Amino acid sequence: MKNKLSFISIFTLCIALSLTACGVKQASTTDSKNTQTEAGSEASGKSDSRLDDLYQQENQLFADHADVWNKAFGMMNKSDADPNGNYADYLAGTVESNKNSFTDDELKTLNEDIETIRKIEEQIAELENKNTSSDDNKKDSSKASSVFSDFSGEDFDGNKVDDSLFSGNAVTVVNFWFTGCKPCVAELSKLNELNDAIKSMGGEVVGINTETFDGNKTAIKEAASVLESQGVKYRNLSIDSSSAAGKYASEIMAFPTTILVDRNGNIVGEPMLGGIDNKDNYDALMKQIQSVIDADSTNK
Amino acid sequence: MDKEKKLLSRKLAKIRGWIQAAATLLTNIHIPNLFKGKIYQGNAKTVCVPGLNCYSCPAATGACPIGAFQAVVGSSKFKFSYYITGFFILLGVTLGRFICGFLCPFGWFQDLLHKIPGKKLSTAKLKPLRYLKYVILIVFVILLPMLVTNSIGMGDPFFCKYICPQGVLEGAIPLSIGNAAIRSALGKLFSFKCMILIAVIVLSILFYRPFCKWICPLGAIYSLFNKVSLLKITVDSSKCVGCGQCSKACKMDVDVCKTPDHPECIRCGACIKACPKDAICYRFMGKSCQKNDNR
Repeated sequence: MKNKLSFISIFTLCIALSLTACGVKQASTTDSKNTQTEAGSEASGKSDSRLDDLYQQENQLFADHADVWNKAFGMMNKSDADPNGNYADYLAGTVESNKNSFTDDELKTLNEDIETIRKIEEQIAELENKNTSSDDNKKDSSKASSVFSDFSGEDFDGNKVDDSLFSGNAVTVVNFWFTGCKPCVAELSKLNELNDAIKSMGGEVVGINTETFDGNKTAIKEAASVLESQGVKYRNLSIDSSSAAGKYASEIMAFPTTILVDRNGNIVGEPMLGGIDNKDNYDALMKQIQSVIDADSTNK
Repeated sequence: MDKEKKLLSRKLAKIRGWIQAAATLLTNIHIPNLFKGKIYQGNAKTVCVPGLNCYSCPAATGACPIGAFQAVVGSSKFKFSYYITGFFILLGVTLGRFICGFLCPFGWFQDLLHKIPGKKLSTAKLKPLRYLKYVILIVFVILLPMLVTNSIGMGDPFFCKYICPQGVLEGAIPLSIGNAAIRSALGKLFSFKCMILIAVIVLSILFYRPFCKWICPLGAIYSLFNKVSLLKITVDSSKCVGCGQCSKACKMDVDVCKTPDHPECIRCGACIKACPKDAICYRFMGKSCQKNDNR
Protein backbone atom coordinates (compact mmCIF):
# COMPACT_ATOMS: atom_id res chain seq x y z
CA MET A 1 0.00 0.00 0.00
CA LYS A 2 2.81 2.34 0.96
CA ASN A 3 4.51 1.31 -2.22
CA LYS A 4 1.50 2.21 -4.27
CA LEU A 5 1.26 5.58 -2.60
CA SER A 6 4.85 6.40 -3.36
CA PHE A 7 4.34 5.42 -6.98
CA ILE A 8 1.32 7.62 -7.30
CA SER A 9 3.22 10.51 -5.75
CA ILE A 10 6.14 10.05 -8.14
CA PHE A 11 3.78 9.88 -11.02
CA THR A 12 1.90 13.05 -10.15
CA LEU A 13 5.21 14.78 -9.52
CA CYS A 14 6.40 13.73 -12.95
CA ILE A 15 3.27 14.95 -14.64
CA ALA A 16 3.43 18.24 -12.76
CA LEU A 17 7.10 18.65 -13.65
CA SER A 18 6.60 17.83 -17.28
CA LEU A 19 3.70 20.22 -17.51
CA THR A 20 5.61 23.09 -15.95
CA ALA A 21 8.55 22.19 -18.14
CA CYS A 22 6.35 22.46 -21.21
CA GLY A 23 5.05 25.80 -20.04
CA VAL A 24 8.52 27.22 -19.62
CA LYS A 25 9.64 25.80 -22.91
CA GLN A 26 6.82 27.39 -24.81
CA ALA A 27 7.50 30.72 -23.16
CA SER A 28 11.17 30.51 -24.03
CA THR A 29 10.50 29.66 -27.65
CA THR A 30 8.21 32.61 -28.09
CA ASP A 31 10.88 34.72 -26.45
CA SER A 32 13.53 33.62 -28.85
CA LYS A 33 11.16 34.14 -31.72
CA ASN A 34 10.67 37.71 -30.70
CA THR A 35 14.37 38.35 -30.51
CA GLN A 36 14.87 36.78 -33.89
CA THR A 37 12.28 38.82 -35.68
CA GLU A 38 12.41 41.94 -33.53
CA ALA A 39 9.40 43.26 -35.39
CA GLY A 40 7.28 41.53 -32.83
CA SER A 41 4.31 43.88 -32.80
CA GLU A 42 1.01 42.24 -33.48
CA ALA A 43 0.15 44.30 -36.52
CA SER A 44 3.33 43.49 -38.36
CA GLY A 45 2.99 39.90 -37.23
CA LYS A 46 -0.23 39.76 -39.17
CA SER A 47 1.20 41.43 -42.23
CA ASP A 48 4.20 39.08 -42.00
CA SER A 49 1.97 36.07 -42.30
CA ARG A 50 0.12 37.82 -45.11
CA LEU A 51 3.46 38.40 -46.81
CA ASP A 52 4.45 34.79 -46.33
CA ASP A 53 1.17 33.78 -47.84
CA LEU A 54 1.76 35.97 -50.90
CA TYR A 55 5.29 34.64 -51.36
CA GLN A 56 3.85 31.16 -51.04
CA GLN A 57 1.46 31.89 -53.88
CA GLU A 58 4.35 33.00 -56.05
CA ASN A 59 6.40 29.97 -55.14
CA GLN A 60 3.44 27.79 -56.03
CA LEU A 61 3.39 29.33 -59.49
CA PHE A 62 7.11 28.69 -59.92
CA ALA A 63 6.65 25.16 -58.65
CA ASP A 64 3.67 24.43 -60.90
CA HIS A 65 5.64 25.26 -64.02
CA ALA A 66 9.04 24.39 -62.62
CA ASP A 67 10.57 23.22 -65.90
CA VAL A 68 10.01 26.47 -67.74
CA TRP A 69 10.79 28.69 -64.81
CA ASN A 70 14.07 27.01 -64.00
CA LYS A 71 15.01 27.53 -67.61
CA ALA A 72 14.09 31.20 -67.30
CA PHE A 73 15.93 31.61 -63.99
CA GLY A 74 19.06 30.27 -65.62
CA MET A 75 18.96 33.11 -68.16
CA MET A 76 18.68 35.88 -65.66
CA ASN A 77 21.15 38.69 -65.60
CA LYS A 78 21.29 40.51 -62.32
CA SER A 79 22.47 43.83 -63.78
CA ASP A 80 19.09 44.18 -65.52
CA ALA A 81 17.18 44.08 -62.28
CA ASP A 82 15.49 47.29 -61.29
CA PRO A 83 15.19 47.17 -57.53
CA ASN A 84 12.34 49.64 -57.29
CA GLY A 85 10.31 48.21 -60.10
CA ASN A 86 7.84 45.34 -59.97
CA TYR A 87 9.50 41.92 -59.86
CA ALA A 88 7.15 40.88 -62.63
CA ASP A 89 8.66 43.52 -64.93
CA TYR A 90 12.05 42.02 -64.30
CA LEU A 91 10.74 38.53 -65.07
CA ALA A 92 8.99 39.80 -68.17
CA GLY A 93 12.18 41.52 -69.30
CA THR A 94 14.16 38.35 -68.97
CA VAL A 95 11.59 36.31 -70.84
CA GLU A 96 11.30 38.97 -73.54
CA SER A 97 15.02 39.12 -74.21
CA ASN A 98 15.27 35.34 -74.40
CA LYS A 99 12.09 34.86 -76.40
CA ASN A 100 13.73 32.60 -78.95
CA SER A 101 14.74 30.03 -76.39
CA PHE A 102 11.14 29.19 -75.47
CA THR A 103 8.38 27.46 -77.37
CA ASP A 104 5.05 29.24 -77.86
CA ASP A 105 3.43 27.12 -75.18
CA GLU A 106 6.16 27.91 -72.72
CA LEU A 107 5.91 31.62 -73.46
CA LYS A 108 2.18 31.51 -72.85
CA THR A 109 2.58 29.87 -69.43
CA LEU A 110 5.34 32.28 -68.50
CA ASN A 111 3.37 35.36 -69.47
CA GLU A 112 0.26 34.18 -67.64
CA ASP A 113 2.30 33.51 -64.52
CA ILE A 114 3.99 36.88 -64.81
CA GLU A 115 0.65 38.66 -64.85
CA THR A 116 -0.46 36.85 -61.70
CA ILE A 117 2.88 37.62 -60.08
CA ARG A 118 2.55 41.30 -61.02
CA LYS A 119 -0.66 41.50 -59.00
CA ILE A 120 0.84 39.64 -56.06
CA GLU A 121 3.93 41.85 -56.17
CA GLU A 122 1.79 44.97 -55.99
CA GLN A 123 0.22 43.71 -52.78
CA ILE A 124 3.63 42.75 -51.43
CA ALA A 125 5.07 46.18 -52.17
CA GLU A 126 2.21 47.79 -50.29
CA LEU A 127 2.71 45.56 -47.26
CA GLU A 128 6.47 45.99 -47.35
CA ASN A 129 6.21 49.78 -47.31
CA LYS A 130 4.32 49.50 -44.07
CA ASN A 131 6.98 47.24 -42.61
CA THR A 132 10.11 49.07 -43.75
CA SER A 133 10.78 50.74 -40.45
CA SER A 134 10.67 47.51 -38.50
CA ASP A 135 12.78 45.78 -41.14
CA ASP A 136 15.53 48.33 -40.61
CA ASN A 137 15.56 47.55 -36.91
CA LYS A 138 15.88 43.90 -37.73
CA LYS A 139 19.00 44.34 -39.79
CA ASP A 140 20.80 46.43 -37.19
CA SER A 141 20.19 44.18 -34.24
CA SER A 142 20.61 40.86 -36.02
CA LYS A 143 23.20 39.03 -33.98
CA ALA A 144 23.78 36.47 -36.70
CA SER A 145 25.71 39.05 -38.69
CA SER A 146 28.85 38.51 -36.63
CA VAL A 147 29.13 34.82 -37.49
CA PHE A 148 31.07 35.29 -40.72
CA SER A 149 32.53 38.75 -40.04
CA ASP A 150 36.16 37.66 -39.71
CA PHE A 151 35.82 34.34 -41.45
CA SER A 152 38.81 32.21 -42.24
CA GLY A 153 39.19 28.68 -43.50
CA GLU A 154 41.04 26.37 -45.82
CA ASP A 155 39.76 24.43 -48.77
CA PHE A 156 40.56 20.74 -49.06
CA ASP A 157 43.64 21.46 -51.17
CA GLY A 158 45.09 23.65 -48.43
CA ASN A 159 44.31 27.04 -50.01
CA LYS A 160 43.50 29.73 -47.46
CA VAL A 161 40.14 31.46 -47.66
CA ASP A 162 39.08 34.62 -45.80
CA ASP A 163 35.96 36.82 -45.79
CA SER A 164 36.64 37.78 -49.41
CA LEU A 165 34.87 34.46 -49.99
CA PHE A 166 31.59 36.29 -49.43
CA SER A 167 32.40 39.74 -50.82
CA GLY A 168 33.09 38.28 -54.25
CA ASN A 169 29.53 37.04 -54.70
CA ALA A 170 26.07 38.49 -54.30
CA VAL A 171 25.02 35.37 -52.44
CA THR A 172 26.95 32.49 -50.92
CA VAL A 173 25.01 29.31 -50.21
CA VAL A 174 26.65 27.68 -47.19
CA ASN A 175 25.77 24.02 -46.76
CA PHE A 176 26.60 22.39 -43.41
CA TRP A 177 26.99 18.61 -43.54
CA PHE A 178 28.99 15.69 -42.22
CA THR A 179 30.33 12.61 -43.93
CA GLY A 180 28.23 10.01 -42.11
CA CYS A 181 24.95 11.83 -42.80
CA LYS A 182 22.99 10.03 -45.48
CA PRO A 183 20.54 12.83 -46.37
CA CYS A 184 23.50 15.23 -46.59
CA VAL A 185 25.30 13.00 -49.06
CA ALA A 186 22.07 12.50 -50.99
CA GLU A 187 21.81 16.21 -51.84
CA LEU A 188 25.47 16.77 -52.77
CA SER A 189 24.99 16.26 -56.49
CA LYS A 190 21.98 18.61 -56.45
CA LEU A 191 24.06 21.24 -54.65
CA ASN A 192 26.66 20.89 -57.38
CA GLU A 193 23.95 21.54 -59.98
CA LEU A 194 22.80 24.52 -57.96
CA ASN A 195 26.36 25.86 -57.89
CA ASP A 196 26.55 25.65 -61.68
CA ALA A 197 23.13 27.28 -62.01
CA ILE A 198 23.81 30.29 -59.80
CA LYS A 199 27.39 30.94 -60.88
CA SER A 200 26.29 33.24 -63.69
CA MET A 201 23.88 35.04 -61.35
CA GLY A 202 26.66 35.92 -58.93
CA GLY A 203 26.26 33.09 -56.47
CA GLU A 204 28.37 30.27 -55.15
CA VAL A 205 27.79 27.12 -53.12
CA VAL A 206 30.27 26.39 -50.33
CA GLY A 207 30.25 23.25 -48.20
CA ILE A 208 31.31 23.10 -44.57
CA ASN A 209 31.78 19.58 -43.26
CA THR A 210 31.63 19.57 -39.46
CA GLU A 211 33.91 16.53 -39.24
CA THR A 212 36.74 18.34 -41.01
CA PHE A 213 37.11 21.10 -38.42
CA ASP A 214 40.60 22.24 -37.42
CA GLY A 215 42.18 20.74 -40.52
CA ASN A 216 41.49 17.12 -39.51
CA LYS A 217 43.43 15.26 -42.24
CA THR A 218 41.70 11.87 -42.14
CA ALA A 219 38.25 13.47 -42.05
CA ILE A 220 39.14 15.71 -44.98
CA LYS A 221 40.32 12.69 -46.95
CA GLU A 222 37.09 10.81 -46.29
CA ALA A 223 34.94 13.83 -47.07
CA ALA A 224 36.88 14.45 -50.27
CA SER A 225 36.33 10.90 -51.47
CA VAL A 226 32.59 11.16 -50.76
CA LEU A 227 32.46 14.48 -52.62
CA GLU A 228 34.30 12.95 -55.54
CA SER A 229 31.93 9.97 -55.65
CA GLN A 230 29.00 12.40 -55.93
CA GLY A 231 30.72 14.47 -58.60
CA VAL A 232 30.96 17.60 -56.49
CA LYS A 233 33.10 20.39 -57.90
CA TYR A 234 32.26 23.31 -55.59
CA ARG A 235 34.51 24.31 -52.72
CA ASN A 236 34.40 22.66 -49.31
CA LEU A 237 36.11 24.36 -46.42
CA SER A 238 37.69 23.27 -43.18
CA ILE A 239 37.27 25.88 -40.46
CA ASP A 240 38.38 26.29 -36.83
CA SER A 241 35.94 24.86 -34.33
CA SER A 242 36.73 27.76 -31.98
CA SER A 243 35.90 30.42 -34.58
CA ALA A 244 32.52 32.15 -34.64
CA ALA A 245 31.52 30.16 -37.70
CA GLY A 246 32.71 26.95 -36.05
CA LYS A 247 30.60 27.66 -32.99
CA TYR A 248 27.62 28.48 -35.17
CA ALA A 249 28.05 25.13 -36.93
CA SER A 250 28.32 23.18 -33.70
CA GLU A 251 24.99 24.62 -32.53
CA ILE A 252 23.22 23.14 -35.56
CA MET A 253 21.09 20.24 -34.34
CA ALA A 254 19.86 18.84 -37.65
CA PHE A 255 21.69 18.14 -40.87
CA PRO A 256 21.83 19.09 -43.67
CA THR A 257 21.31 22.77 -42.86
CA THR A 258 21.75 25.36 -45.59
CA ILE A 259 22.04 29.11 -45.06
CA LEU A 260 22.43 32.10 -47.36
CA VAL A 261 25.11 34.70 -46.76
CA ASP A 262 25.19 38.06 -48.52
CA ARG A 263 28.15 40.03 -49.80
CA ASN A 264 28.80 41.58 -46.37
CA GLY A 265 28.96 38.26 -44.58
CA ASN A 266 25.46 38.58 -43.08
CA ILE A 267 23.21 35.57 -42.80
CA VAL A 268 19.99 36.27 -44.69
CA GLY A 269 16.68 34.70 -43.72
CA GLU A 270 16.14 31.54 -41.73
CA PRO A 271 18.35 28.45 -42.08
CA MET A 272 16.84 25.74 -44.25
CA LEU A 273 16.75 22.19 -42.90
CA GLY A 274 16.67 19.17 -45.14
CA GLY A 275 18.15 18.35 -48.52
CA ILE A 276 17.41 20.16 -51.76
CA ASP A 277 16.98 16.82 -53.49
CA ASN A 278 13.44 17.44 -52.27
CA LYS A 279 11.83 19.64 -54.90
CA ASP A 280 9.93 21.92 -52.52
CA ASN A 281 13.14 22.68 -50.65
CA TYR A 282 14.96 23.37 -53.91
CA ASP A 283 12.31 25.81 -55.10
CA ALA A 284 12.16 27.57 -51.74
CA LEU A 285 15.93 27.94 -51.65
CA MET A 286 16.09 29.12 -55.26
CA LYS A 287 13.50 31.77 -54.52
CA GLN A 288 15.44 32.94 -51.47
CA ILE A 289 18.67 33.05 -53.48
CA GLN A 290 16.92 35.15 -56.10
CA SER A 291 15.72 37.62 -53.49
CA VAL A 292 19.21 37.98 -51.99
CA ILE A 293 20.64 38.66 -55.44
CA ASP A 294 17.91 41.21 -56.10
CA ALA A 295 18.59 42.91 -52.79
CA ASP A 296 22.29 42.95 -53.61
CA SER A 297 21.78 44.78 -56.88
CA THR A 298 19.53 47.26 -55.04
CA ASN A 299 22.29 48.19 -52.65
CA LYS A 300 24.84 48.78 -55.35
CA MET B 1 21.85 -15.57 6.65
CA ASP B 2 19.57 -17.16 4.12
CA LYS B 3 16.67 -15.21 5.44
CA GLU B 4 18.57 -11.98 5.04
CA LYS B 5 19.21 -12.80 1.41
CA LYS B 6 15.55 -13.12 0.71
CA LEU B 7 14.84 -9.94 2.54
CA LEU B 8 17.31 -8.16 0.28
CA SER B 9 15.58 -9.54 -2.80
CA ARG B 10 12.29 -8.28 -1.51
CA LYS B 11 13.75 -4.90 -0.70
CA LEU B 12 15.28 -4.61 -4.15
CA ALA B 13 11.96 -5.45 -5.77
CA LYS B 14 10.20 -2.93 -3.59
CA ILE B 15 12.41 0.02 -4.44
CA ARG B 16 12.33 -0.81 -8.15
CA GLY B 17 10.37 2.34 -8.97
CA TRP B 18 13.02 4.52 -7.35
CA ILE B 19 15.84 2.70 -9.12
CA GLN B 20 14.01 3.21 -12.42
CA ALA B 21 13.61 6.91 -11.67
CA ALA B 22 17.28 7.25 -10.76
CA ALA B 23 18.38 5.33 -13.86
CA THR B 24 16.18 7.52 -16.06
CA LEU B 25 17.65 10.64 -14.48
CA LEU B 26 21.21 9.36 -14.92
CA THR B 27 20.64 8.45 -18.57
CA ASN B 28 19.18 11.94 -19.11
CA ILE B 29 21.38 14.08 -16.91
CA HIS B 30 21.56 17.24 -19.05
CA ILE B 31 18.14 18.52 -18.04
CA PRO B 32 18.80 22.22 -18.87
CA ASN B 33 19.31 21.24 -22.51
CA LEU B 34 15.63 20.29 -22.67
CA PHE B 35 14.73 23.96 -22.50
CA LYS B 36 17.34 25.01 -25.02
CA GLY B 37 16.48 22.46 -27.68
CA LYS B 38 20.15 21.51 -27.99
CA ILE B 39 21.72 18.06 -27.85
CA TYR B 40 24.64 17.38 -25.51
CA GLN B 41 27.56 16.36 -27.71
CA GLY B 42 30.39 15.69 -25.27
CA ASN B 43 32.60 12.64 -24.94
CA ALA B 44 30.08 10.59 -22.95
CA LYS B 45 28.02 10.38 -26.13
CA THR B 46 30.52 7.87 -27.52
CA VAL B 47 29.40 5.39 -24.84
CA CYS B 48 26.10 3.52 -24.88
CA VAL B 49 23.59 3.57 -22.05
CA PRO B 50 22.03 0.21 -21.09
CA GLY B 51 18.39 1.09 -21.80
CA LEU B 52 16.46 2.34 -24.80
CA ASN B 53 17.12 6.07 -24.60
CA CYS B 54 17.27 8.24 -27.70
CA TYR B 55 20.63 9.80 -28.58
CA SER B 56 18.73 12.82 -29.83
CA CYS B 57 17.08 13.50 -26.49
CA PRO B 58 18.52 16.92 -25.58
CA ALA B 59 19.14 15.67 -22.03
CA ALA B 60 20.65 12.29 -22.95
CA THR B 61 23.92 11.32 -21.25
CA GLY B 62 25.03 8.70 -23.74
CA ALA B 63 24.08 6.97 -26.96
CA CYS B 64 21.20 4.52 -27.48
CA PRO B 65 22.70 1.06 -28.09
CA ILE B 66 20.09 0.19 -30.73
CA GLY B 67 20.59 3.51 -32.49
CA ALA B 68 24.37 3.20 -32.34
CA PHE B 69 24.21 -0.34 -33.67
CA GLN B 70 22.21 0.75 -36.71
CA ALA B 71 24.39 3.79 -37.28
CA VAL B 72 27.53 1.67 -37.42
CA VAL B 73 26.00 -1.18 -39.45
CA GLY B 74 24.55 1.38 -41.87
CA SER B 75 27.69 3.47 -42.25
CA SER B 76 29.89 3.07 -45.28
CA LYS B 77 33.02 2.62 -43.16
CA PHE B 78 32.04 -0.50 -41.22
CA LYS B 79 30.36 -3.74 -42.18
CA PHE B 80 29.38 -4.87 -38.70
CA SER B 81 29.22 -3.22 -35.35
CA TYR B 82 31.62 -5.24 -33.18
CA TYR B 83 31.97 -2.76 -30.34
CA ILE B 84 28.24 -2.53 -29.72
CA THR B 85 27.74 -6.27 -30.15
CA GLY B 86 30.37 -6.73 -27.47
CA PHE B 87 28.54 -4.23 -25.31
CA PHE B 88 25.31 -6.22 -25.72
CA ILE B 89 27.06 -9.45 -24.78
CA LEU B 90 28.70 -7.88 -21.72
CA LEU B 91 25.46 -6.41 -20.39
CA GLY B 92 23.45 -9.45 -21.44
CA VAL B 93 25.73 -11.86 -19.61
CA THR B 94 25.88 -9.78 -16.43
CA LEU B 95 22.33 -8.48 -16.11
CA GLY B 96 20.14 -9.82 -18.92
CA ARG B 97 16.65 -8.36 -18.95
CA PHE B 98 17.16 -6.97 -15.45
CA ILE B 99 17.99 -3.87 -17.53
CA CYS B 100 14.44 -3.80 -18.92
CA GLY B 101 12.90 -4.01 -15.48
CA PHE B 102 15.20 -1.67 -13.59
CA LEU B 103 17.28 0.54 -15.88
CA CYS B 104 15.35 1.25 -19.09
CA PRO B 105 13.70 4.71 -19.20
CA PHE B 106 11.09 3.60 -21.73
CA GLY B 107 10.26 0.61 -19.57
CA TRP B 108 9.67 2.96 -16.65
CA PHE B 109 7.55 5.19 -18.86
CA GLN B 110 5.29 2.23 -19.67
CA ASP B 111 5.21 1.16 -16.01
CA LEU B 112 4.00 4.62 -15.04
CA LEU B 113 1.38 4.65 -17.79
CA HIS B 114 0.11 1.30 -16.55
CA LYS B 115 -0.49 2.88 -13.13
CA ILE B 116 -3.22 5.02 -14.66
CA PRO B 117 -6.39 3.48 -13.26
CA GLY B 118 -8.82 1.90 -15.68
CA LYS B 119 -9.58 -1.38 -17.34
CA LYS B 120 -6.51 -3.64 -17.49
CA LEU B 121 -6.30 -6.43 -20.04
CA SER B 122 -4.24 -9.60 -19.92
CA THR B 123 -1.67 -10.33 -22.61
CA ALA B 124 -1.63 -14.07 -21.90
CA LYS B 125 -3.54 -14.84 -25.10
CA LEU B 126 -1.29 -12.62 -27.20
CA LYS B 127 1.86 -14.64 -26.56
CA PRO B 128 2.69 -15.26 -30.26
CA LEU B 129 3.18 -11.51 -30.67
CA ARG B 130 6.32 -11.87 -28.53
CA TYR B 131 8.18 -13.19 -31.54
CA LEU B 132 7.50 -9.98 -33.44
CA LYS B 133 10.35 -8.27 -31.58
CA TYR B 134 12.86 -10.77 -32.93
CA VAL B 135 11.60 -10.12 -36.45
CA ILE B 136 11.96 -6.38 -35.87
CA LEU B 137 15.47 -6.91 -34.50
CA ILE B 138 16.59 -8.93 -37.49
CA VAL B 139 14.80 -6.98 -40.22
CA PHE B 140 14.79 -3.35 -39.08
CA VAL B 141 17.89 -3.21 -36.91
CA ILE B 142 20.25 -5.54 -38.74
CA LEU B 143 19.23 -6.42 -42.30
CA LEU B 144 17.64 -3.26 -43.70
CA PRO B 145 20.34 -0.83 -42.49
CA MET B 146 22.99 -3.25 -43.74
CA LEU B 147 21.49 -4.03 -47.14
CA VAL B 148 19.39 -1.07 -48.27
CA THR B 149 22.17 1.40 -48.99
CA ASN B 150 23.00 4.21 -51.39
CA SER B 151 25.80 4.20 -53.94
CA ILE B 152 28.53 4.64 -51.34
CA GLY B 153 27.19 2.06 -48.90
CA MET B 154 25.24 4.22 -46.45
CA GLY B 155 22.02 2.85 -44.96
CA ASP B 156 19.22 4.42 -42.94
CA PRO B 157 18.68 3.53 -39.28
CA PHE B 158 15.35 1.91 -40.16
CA PHE B 159 14.15 1.12 -36.64
CA CYS B 160 14.91 4.64 -35.39
CA LYS B 161 13.49 6.26 -38.46
CA TYR B 162 10.25 4.33 -38.91
CA ILE B 163 9.34 2.63 -35.63
CA CYS B 164 10.94 3.82 -32.40
CA PRO B 165 8.39 5.72 -30.26
CA GLN B 166 11.10 6.65 -27.75
CA GLY B 167 12.74 8.74 -30.48
CA VAL B 168 9.59 10.82 -30.89
CA LEU B 169 8.99 11.12 -27.16
CA GLU B 170 12.55 12.09 -26.21
CA GLY B 171 14.00 13.38 -29.45
CA ALA B 172 11.55 14.88 -31.91
CA ILE B 173 9.07 16.41 -29.47
CA PRO B 174 11.49 18.25 -27.13
CA LEU B 175 13.76 19.28 -30.00
CA SER B 176 10.94 20.71 -32.05
CA ILE B 177 9.56 22.59 -29.04
CA GLY B 178 12.95 24.13 -28.30
CA ASN B 179 14.19 24.67 -31.85
CA ALA B 180 12.21 26.66 -34.41
CA ALA B 181 14.22 25.42 -37.41
CA ILE B 182 13.54 21.79 -36.57
CA ARG B 183 9.88 22.57 -35.97
CA SER B 184 9.66 23.98 -39.48
CA ALA B 185 11.06 20.77 -40.97
CA LEU B 186 8.51 18.38 -39.40
CA GLY B 187 6.53 16.42 -41.95
CA LYS B 188 4.57 13.28 -42.61
CA LEU B 189 7.13 10.98 -41.03
CA PHE B 190 6.76 12.88 -37.76
CA SER B 191 2.97 12.52 -37.83
CA PHE B 192 3.31 8.82 -38.57
CA LYS B 193 5.67 8.27 -35.67
CA CYS B 194 3.50 10.34 -33.35
CA MET B 195 0.69 7.93 -34.17
CA ILE B 196 2.94 5.01 -33.19
CA LEU B 197 3.78 6.78 -29.93
CA ILE B 198 0.12 7.45 -29.17
CA ALA B 199 -0.74 3.84 -29.95
CA VAL B 200 2.01 2.62 -27.60
CA ILE B 201 0.79 4.98 -24.87
CA VAL B 202 -2.83 3.82 -25.15
CA LEU B 203 -1.78 0.17 -25.26
CA SER B 204 0.51 0.70 -22.25
CA ILE B 205 -2.44 1.90 -20.20
CA LEU B 206 -4.48 -1.17 -21.16
CA PHE B 207 -1.71 -3.80 -21.21
CA TYR B 208 1.48 -4.12 -19.17
CA ARG B 209 4.56 -3.09 -21.18
CA PRO B 210 3.28 -3.87 -24.71
CA PHE B 211 6.36 -2.30 -26.32
CA CYS B 212 8.76 -4.44 -24.28
CA LYS B 213 6.81 -7.60 -24.96
CA TRP B 214 6.20 -7.24 -28.66
CA ILE B 215 8.38 -4.61 -30.30
CA CYS B 216 11.59 -3.73 -28.46
CA PRO B 217 14.69 -5.06 -30.30
CA LEU B 218 16.88 -4.22 -27.31
CA GLY B 219 14.69 -6.39 -25.09
CA ALA B 220 14.93 -9.09 -27.75
CA ILE B 221 18.73 -9.00 -27.55
CA TYR B 222 18.85 -9.07 -23.74
CA SER B 223 16.22 -11.83 -23.63
CA LEU B 224 18.62 -14.17 -25.42
CA PHE B 225 20.98 -13.87 -22.45
CA ASN B 226 18.41 -14.37 -19.70
CA LYS B 227 19.17 -18.07 -19.41
CA VAL B 228 22.91 -17.55 -18.97
CA SER B 229 23.13 -14.17 -17.27
CA LEU B 230 24.96 -13.85 -13.95
CA LEU B 231 21.90 -12.25 -12.41
CA LYS B 232 19.08 -14.73 -12.07
CA ILE B 233 15.89 -15.46 -10.25
CA THR B 234 15.81 -18.83 -8.53
CA VAL B 235 13.03 -20.77 -6.89
CA ASP B 236 13.94 -22.76 -3.79
CA SER B 237 12.05 -25.99 -4.49
CA SER B 238 12.31 -27.11 -0.88
CA LYS B 239 10.29 -24.11 0.19
CA CYS B 240 7.92 -23.91 -2.77
CA VAL B 241 4.45 -25.22 -2.02
CA GLY B 242 3.25 -24.82 -5.60
CA CYS B 243 0.58 -22.27 -4.79
CA GLY B 244 1.08 -20.53 -8.13
CA GLN B 245 0.97 -17.03 -6.63
CA CYS B 246 4.17 -16.14 -8.48
CA SER B 247 2.82 -16.91 -11.94
CA LYS B 248 -0.36 -15.06 -11.09
CA ALA B 249 1.64 -12.00 -10.06
CA CYS B 250 3.85 -12.12 -13.15
CA LYS B 251 2.81 -9.42 -15.60
CA MET B 252 5.15 -10.74 -18.30
CA ASP B 253 3.17 -14.03 -18.46
CA VAL B 254 6.00 -16.24 -17.21
CA ASP B 255 5.43 -19.51 -15.36
CA VAL B 256 7.93 -18.67 -12.63
CA CYS B 257 8.18 -22.08 -10.94
CA LYS B 258 8.86 -23.92 -14.18
CA THR B 259 10.98 -21.39 -16.05
CA PRO B 260 12.38 -18.70 -13.76
CA ASP B 261 14.89 -17.79 -16.46
CA HIS B 262 12.36 -17.40 -19.24
CA PRO B 263 13.44 -14.91 -21.97
CA GLU B 264 10.41 -12.78 -21.19
CA CYS B 265 11.30 -12.30 -17.50
CA ILE B 266 12.33 -8.69 -16.90
CA ARG B 267 13.42 -9.46 -13.30
CA CYS B 268 10.87 -7.02 -11.91
CA GLY B 269 10.50 -9.07 -8.74
CA ALA B 270 6.70 -9.16 -8.65
CA CYS B 271 6.95 -12.91 -8.00
CA ILE B 272 9.42 -12.37 -5.16
CA LYS B 273 7.01 -9.99 -3.49
CA ALA B 274 4.07 -12.32 -4.10
CA CYS B 275 5.64 -15.54 -2.79
CA PRO B 276 4.06 -16.40 0.58
CA LYS B 277 6.93 -18.77 1.47
CA ASP B 278 9.86 -16.50 0.49
CA ALA B 279 11.00 -19.23 -1.87
CA ILE B 280 11.99 -16.93 -4.75
CA CYS B 281 15.03 -14.66 -4.76
CA TYR B 282 17.55 -12.88 -6.93
CA ARG B 283 20.91 -14.56 -7.31
CA PHE B 284 24.07 -13.03 -8.63
CA MET B 285 26.83 -15.37 -9.86
CA GLY B 286 25.10 -18.30 -8.28
CA LYS B 287 25.22 -17.01 -4.72
CA SER B 288 24.64 -13.95 -2.62
CA CYS B 289 22.01 -11.44 -3.59
CA GLN B 290 23.81 -8.85 -1.57
CA LYS B 291 26.12 -8.10 -4.44
CA ASN B 292 23.42 -7.09 -6.75
CA ASP B 293 21.92 -4.89 -4.06
CA ASN B 294 25.18 -2.98 -3.97
CA ARG B 295 25.12 -2.26 -7.64
